Amino acid sequence: MAADIFAIAGSALDAQDSRMAAIASNLANADSIAAPGQTPYKAREVIFQPMMDSPFESQIDAQTADAGVQVAGTITSGAPSVQKYDPGNPLADSKGYVTGSNVSQVNEMVDLIDSSNSYAASVAVLQSASRVDQQILSSFQVV
Amino acid sequence: MQAGFLSYYDGIFNTAQDRQALIANNIANANTPGFKAMDIPFQATLAAHLTGATPPGPQYRASATVGLDGNDVALDNERIEGTQNAEQLMAAATFLHQSTADLITALRPNPSGS
Repeated sequence: MAADIFAIAGSALDAQDSRMAAIASNLANADSIAAPGQTPYKAREVIFQPMMDSPFESQIDAQTADAGVQVAGTITSGAPSVQKYDPGNPLADSKGYVTGSNVSQVNEMVDLIDSSNSYAASVAVLQSASRVDQQILSSFQVV
Repeated sequence: MQAGFLSYYDGIFNTAQDRQALIANNIANANTPGFKAMDIPFQATLAAHLTGATPPGPQYRASATVGLDGNDVALDNERIEGTQNAEQLMAAATFLHQSTADLITALRPNPSGS
């Protein structure tokens, strides 16, 4: 069996899962506000990197190839936080502004759709791989 | 009866499974910054398997649009290629099934026992 296709698709599912978790966290905190002097919630983004750095150097070989994707790390968005004029709010500063998060809900939704598309594609890979395996297995069944 | 056709199926299975892994890798890295989609040329690799030469190895697809993050994986293309490759594998498996069944039939002693 060539480089384990189930491990490759599994790593993709893992990575997309953590990306969707970050998006869920961002959306959940979209409306959170911070007291004056405290840092408001910053949107987080998960960065991926390939497990296999330079596939050109070594031929994709069945046993040794380590293909797939992994999470390289998380970065926080540098976008400016939202300032809203709301003097009645107990967390407003001396000028009456409340500091919110820097989450863009539209961006997060687009990201979520992209991520769930990738997730579905990996699931389709898994399904077709298992279908092929079934077929190959049954081809060795000689009556 | 020559059993050489088995090495033909060996070549097909090996090539198609390598492609399957590469396509899965492309799909897995659809959101990886800087990743470039790869594939192996089917005919050249199969020919190399059959003649015992060194297969050409993975090559960049270099056909799709490169996004702002340097990624050029086209999910729809990869799914098409993946499906075609899977059908090819299953077709080879089906033909192999029939071929081995014929081989077994030929190897069986005469059923009428004369």
